[in-house]
Amino acid sequence: MTSKAPDIQMLENLKDLLLKTEQNQIQSIEKRLDDPMVRAIEISDALPDAISLSIRQGDKLPRVIQPVIDDSIKVSVQNNPKAIADAIFPALGPAIRKAITSTIMGMIQSLNQVLNHSFSFNGLKWRFEALKTGKSFAEVVLLNTLVFQVEQIVLIHKKTGLVLEHVVTKDAIIQDPDLVSGMLSAIQDFVNDSFTTSTDEDLETLRIGSDRTVWIEKGEHAILATVLRGTPPLELRVQYQELIEHIHLKSGAALEQFDGDSSPFAIFRESLKDGLKSKVKIEQKKISPLLWVFLLFILFTSSYFGFTLYQKHKIWKGYLSRISSEKGLIVLSAKKENKTYHISGLLDPLANNPETLLTDVEKSNLNLKFALTPYHSLDPKFIIQRAKNRLKPPSTITLSFTAGTIHAIGKANQKWIKKFKDQSIMLPGIDSYNIKKIQNPNQTHLESILKDLRNIRIYFKNNRSSLVPDQEDVLLDVLEKIKKIQILQSDTSSPVQIVIFGHTDSSGSERLNLKLSRDRAENIFNYLLVNGINPTFITISGIGTQLPLTKEETLDDKKFNRAISFKTFYYHTTTGGSQ
Amino acid sequence: MKKKICMLGAFAVGKTSLVQQYVNSIFSDKYHTTVGVKIEKTTVVMDDTNVDLIIWDLHGEDEFQHVRLSYLKGSSGCIYVADGTREKTLATALSLRKIAQNTIGKLPFILMINKSDIKDQWEIDDETIDDLKNQGISLIITSAKTGDEVEQAFKILTQKMMEK
Repeated sequence: MTSKAPDIQMLENLKDLLLKTEQNQIQSIEKRLDDPMVRAIEISDALPDAISLSIRQGDKLPRVIQPVIDDSIKVSVQNNPKAIADAIFPALGPAIRKAITSTIMGMIQSLNQVLNHSFSFNGLKWRFEALKTGKSFAEVVLLNTLVFQVEQIVLIHKKTGLVLEHVVTKDAIIQDPDLVSGMLSAIQDFVNDSFTTSTDEDLETLRIGSDRTVWIEKGEHAILATVLRGTPPLELRVQYQELIEHIHLKSGAALEQFDGDSSPFAIFRESLKDGLKSKVKIEQKKISPLLWVFLLFILFTSSYFGFTLYQKHKIWKGYLSRISSEKGLIVLSAKKENKTYHISGLLDPLANNPETLLTDVEKSNLNLKFALTPYHSLDPKFIIQRAKNRLKPPSTITLSFTAGTIHAIGKANQKWIKKFKDQSIMLPGIDSYNIKKIQNPNQTHLESILKDLRNIRIYFKNNRSSLVPDQEDVLLDVLEKIKKIQILQSDTSSPVQIVIFGHTDSSGSERLNLKLSRDRAENIFNYLLVNGINPTFITISGIGTQLPLTKEETLDDKKFNRAISFKTFYYHTTTGGSQ
Repeated sequence: MKKKICMLGAFAVGKTSLVQQYVNSIFSDKYHTTVGVKIEKTTVVMDDTNVDLIIWDLHGEDEFQHVRLSYLKGSSGCIYVADGTREKTLATALSLRKIAQNTIGKLPFILMINKSDIKDQWEIDDETIDDLKNQGISLIITSAKTGDEVEQAFKILTQKMMEK
C-alpha cells in the first residue's frame, strides 16, 4: 500500500505539471458558474447582441418575452402608476387630442345638419324613417343630406413623393398626378418644417375653396391623398385610414424598398377604385306637396285679389256715376292713384256732400280723397234752397223759380214781404221777384174791418151833437175797430187814413148844419182821442147836408142823416192798388 | 419607372430656365419663393424603358434663403447647377453637394455649369473643370439659352441612377 503512495504522489505531481493551467481555468470557470454576480455581469455584456441576433432570426423573442413584459407593466402600474402615466403622456396626449378633435368635428357636422333639417318637411319624413329603422335621427339626416364626390385618390410614396397608384373618376379634371403628388409632398414637408414640432402633427386636411377638400391619410411609408368635393361623412375618412393600413400590411416591405418601380402597387388599384365613392343628391322630379300648396295658395290669393280688384272697380264706377248725377256737385276728375281714389271738383255748400252719399259697402271698399271747391249751383233747387235759407219764409209761403224770377206764393206779413223784395235779387241766379201771389193776412183783416167801419153810422139827436141814447154801444164798437185798425196798419205798413164825416138832416140853415155836422164828427174824434187812438190817421170833416146818407123822403128818414159816417183811405201796396 | 431628383444651385444660376424647355410643370415660379420648391417632370427613354424624372427644383441657395433639406429625402439623384460666369456659384454647388450627401447619402449626380453661350465672360477656368472631371464628377457644360447638352445631361443622370 505504501509503495502505491509515492505513485499517487507522482501522478498528482504529473497532473499538476501537465494540467495546472487547465485546472486553474476549470476552477475559474467553476467559480464563474457558481457566482451569480459574475454571470450577471457577463450576460449583461452579451444581452444586447443576443437580442439583436434574435430579432434578426425571427419573432421568437418578442413572443417569448411578451407575457413577461405584460406582467411587468401590470406590476409597474400597480406599484407606481405615475411613472407609466408620465412615460406614455407624450404619446397619449396627441392621440387623445386627435380622437377628441375628430369626434367633435363629427358632432358639429351632424349637429349642423340636424339643425338645418329639424323643421323641414324632409325633417318630418326623416324622423319617421328614424323611428322605423331604429337609427338615430342625426344619423338619418346625415345619410340623406351629405352630398359629395371623391374625385381622385393618389397613393403616394412618402419618402420620394412619387405616385404609386392613382385613380380618378371619369368626369374629374385632373393635373399630372406626379406633379401634384410631388408638390403635395413638398407642401407637407414645408408645413412640417414650418409649423409643427412633432411628427404626429401632420397636415391632414387641405381645404380648397368651400367645396373641395384633400384628405391626407398617413402610413409609415405611404400616404393616401383623397380629393373630394362637397360634404363627405367623416366615417369615410376611417375607411381611408383602414385602406392605408391595409396597404401597409400587404406591401410594407415593397413600400420600404421602393426604388421608382410602381408596378407592385397595381394590385391596390381596385381597392382605390372602391374608395371613389360619391353620393349625388337625386333631384326630385315630382313636385313636392309643399310646392303644390304654394301654387294653390298663389292661385287662390291672385284670384282673390283679382276678384277684389274687380269688385272694387265696380263699386267705384257705381259710386262715380251716382255722384256725377248729383245736383250741386261737378266732378272734374276722378282717378285712382296707388290704392286711393282721388275725386276733385266743385261742390255747392247746399248739395249733398259726396262722402255722405257713401253706402256702407262703398265705405269699406273705397279709400277716397276729395278735393272739392265750393261754388253756387244755378240749379232751381239750389236757388230756391238758398233763398229759403236766406229769406226764411214763413211756412205759409211757397217759393218757386222760373227763368230768373223767384215767385213767392202764400201768406206772409209785410215785414217778410219787404225782406223778400229787398234781398231775393241779391241771391245768385235771381234776376227778379214776383210777390203778386203773396197774401198778407193782417191786410185782409184790416180790409174787412175797414169795410165794416165804412158801414157803421152813429146817430145823433135832432139838432144836437149828442148821441141818440142807444148809440153808446155802436160807439164802443167803433172804438174797438179803430183800435184794431191802428194795430193792423202798423203791421201792414200800409198807410190808412180815416175820415169821420159829420152829417145833418136838411132842416135848418146850411151854415148851422155845417157847424153841427163838424161838432158831431169832432165829438166822436175826441172820444177816440180820449180812448187812446192815435189822432194822426184820423181826420174829421163836417159836410152838413152834402152827401146825405139817405134820401129824405119821409120825416123819419131825416134821423138817418143826423149821423156820422166813416171813409177810409188805404194804399194797398201789396197788390199795388189802393182804396 | 419613376425617379425623384433634386436640382440645386446658387441663386440665379438659371436652373429653371435651363430645364424649362424639357420639362412639364403646372406650377408657377412663385412656388419657389413661397414653398421653396417647384415640381417639374420629364421623361427619359432608356433602353426602351420610360423613366419619369420628377424634378424637385429647389429654390436657389443664397445668403438669405437656404435649401430646405427635408425636400431632399427620397431622391434618387441630384443635379447641381453653377453659373460659369460666377465662380462663387461653383463653390456653392459643391458645398450643396456636400450638404446633400450628409443629409441623404451619396447619390448619383451631375454638375451642370451653365451659360456656355457666353464663354468669354466665364470666371471658371478650364483647369478647374478638368480638375473636377478628374475627380470623377460628371460635369456638363450647358446653355439654357441654346439648350445645348441639357437633354444629354438628363440622360447621363438617368443612366447613373439605373446602374446603381
